[in-house]
Amino acid sequence: MISLKQLTKVYGRGPDAVTVLDRLDVDVASGEILAVVGPSGAGKSTLAQCINLLERPTSGQVVVNGEDLSGLPEHKLRVARRRIGTVFQSASLFSRRTAAENVALPLEYLGVTPAEAKARVAELLERVGLSHRANHYPFELSGGQRQRVGIARALALRPSVLLSDEATSGLDPETTRSVVSLLRELRDDLDLAVVFITHEMDTVLHVADSAARLDRGRILEQGRLVDLLTDHDSALGRALQPQLSPAEPGTGSRAWYVTYDSRTVPADWLQRVSADLGEPAALLAATIQNIGGTSTGNATVGLASADAARVEAAFARHGLRAALRPVARSGGTTAAAGTAAPAAQADSAPEAPAPDHTLDTTPKEAALWA
Amino acid sequence: MGVILPSAVIVSTLADTPIADLPALLVPALGETLAMVGIVMLVVVLVGTPTAVCLHNMAPGGLFENRGVYGVLSWIVNIGRSLPFLVLMAAIVPFTRFVTGTNIGIAAAVVPMSLAGIPFFARLVENCLRDVPRSVTQAARASGGSPLQIIRSAQLGEAVPAILGGLTINTIAMIEYSAIAGTIGAGGIGYVAVTYGYQRFDHTVMIATVVLLIALVTAVQLIGDGLVRATTPHLRRR
Repeated sequence: MISLKQLTKVYGRGPDAVTVLDRLDVDVASGEILAVVGPSGAGKSTLAQCINLLERPTSGQVVVNGEDLSGLPEHKLRVARRRIGTVFQSASLFSRRTAAENVALPLEYLGVTPAEAKARVAELLERVGLSHRANHYPFELSGGQRQRVGIARALALRPSVLLSDEATSGLDPETTRSVVSLLRELRDDLDLAVVFITHEMDTVLHVADSAARLDRGRILEQGRLVDLLTDHDSALGRALQPQLSPAEPGTGSRAWYVTYDSRTVPADWLQRVSADLGEPAALLAATIQNIGGTSTGNATVGLASADAARVEAAFARHGLRAALRPVARSGGTTAAAGTAAPAAQADSAPEAPAPDHTLDTTPKEAALWA
Repeated sequence: MGVILPSAVIVSTLADTPIADLPALLVPALGETLAMVGIVMLVVVLVGTPTAVCLHNMAPGGLFENRGVYGVLSWIVNIGRSLPFLVLMAAIVPFTRFVTGTNIGIAAAVVPMSLAGIPFFARLVENCLRDVPRSVTQAARASGGSPLQIIRSAQLGEAVPAILGGLTINTIAMIEYSAIAGTIGAGGIGYVAVTYGYQRFDHTVMIATVVLLIALVTAVQLIGDGLVRATTPHLRRR
């Protein structure tokens, strides 16, 4: 397992000092995958470099299996670092070495005999499903295959912690899914503690057991994925779910944004709510999925009922939380905003990002965090 | 270590050397040029490569960052790069005589050529190392490599094709320098070109040395290109 204790990284000194990581406390147990998410500039890459100690933290500890690594002198650190395997973005393979030679690199550094190394490399490539590509150079491999070689290399020295630094960024969705399922398999087989750093929110649902949200160097929220996704008030839980564009509710109806707010929501909740309210419910958008055996998701439902309190109660009875969906900004008229305003407040509190928070965030990320 | 020329050729002044006599004149000269450039390139690679590795890794963000030493080393290299070769060669005559005991001949040419070639090669290799993606070095560090292992496998290893390209450029520059050194009696093709082609208006020799130099440089370039191709996986297999 790996624990970060009050991990702090400050660049520069005096008045120019910039605190990139501010007293982070994170625990990842063996056999657990923790996703760390956050927008660009949140400190994710610095966090990655502090975890495998390519950068020394300014203060705080990185504890792996009970040993604090942050205070070790450089030559001992080199040995200690072998307990942490790192998978980098775009794999960072050596272009002049074959897949097998890349995987053998950490073994070479360690001084393992060529015969032993060969056996171990074959075993690792087999494990990531690339035995048939052993003698191919990186330029002959697809993005997903390169990433698998990177994973095999990270596992060469049998680490107990695997750090994935944006390992699936830039891969297409299908490749991402296969890399992610490989990570989950390895986590189970090797009892790894995995720290999965990413800016891709949709990947987190497929890979993680728990998630932490890093923003401006601080962990704002962390918890089990199931808990985050079944808690209406969790900004991270909502950000992790796919963002949908609901259909129009139709004249006389209003759109309600519904989130799962408990672990015991009945599967036929739409019909039950419709019956309770005595009117047909229109499903305008929905995403529901199984996370660790629990149904989670959100939906947009169109209802004609003018009694907001009654509607909210009907949803609450089934473990759901409903709020009037804010009218799209482009509508912008006072009349529409008037009806939506209270709901908008209820819906977006307490974490609504300011409209111009995208200053240092890419449009793609902004969309994910919106 | 003087200039060895067949006496029969030296006698025939003020007339173009017969074509049949050219090999006797040019073959030893070519041998001297190759010897000079070969010795110099050996020194240049042996001294220039470690210099480049130090420059690269003592610079900010390197493996053993040291701004002070980096500044001094970089300054020394810049001095070596600043002087035109002819000026450098003339300026260090006392040093050359101290090292080799003479100021003419191949041995005397090797000293200024090396002093000019080392900083040139150091900058070329430094540039090659800078082009190795930082993530590759980071991966090597994360894989538990010691600084020497990282330099050998990640930095120099990944930069091999680029360094061979730089070596080609440097070798060709040294062929040029050897011709300049020829003017101070270092022998080689440059000496023949100056003494026969220029001072005696021997057009046959002049043209022959020009053709020989073009052929020599072309050959070096072709060999260099071939080595780059052989060490770059995606160029090799096509």
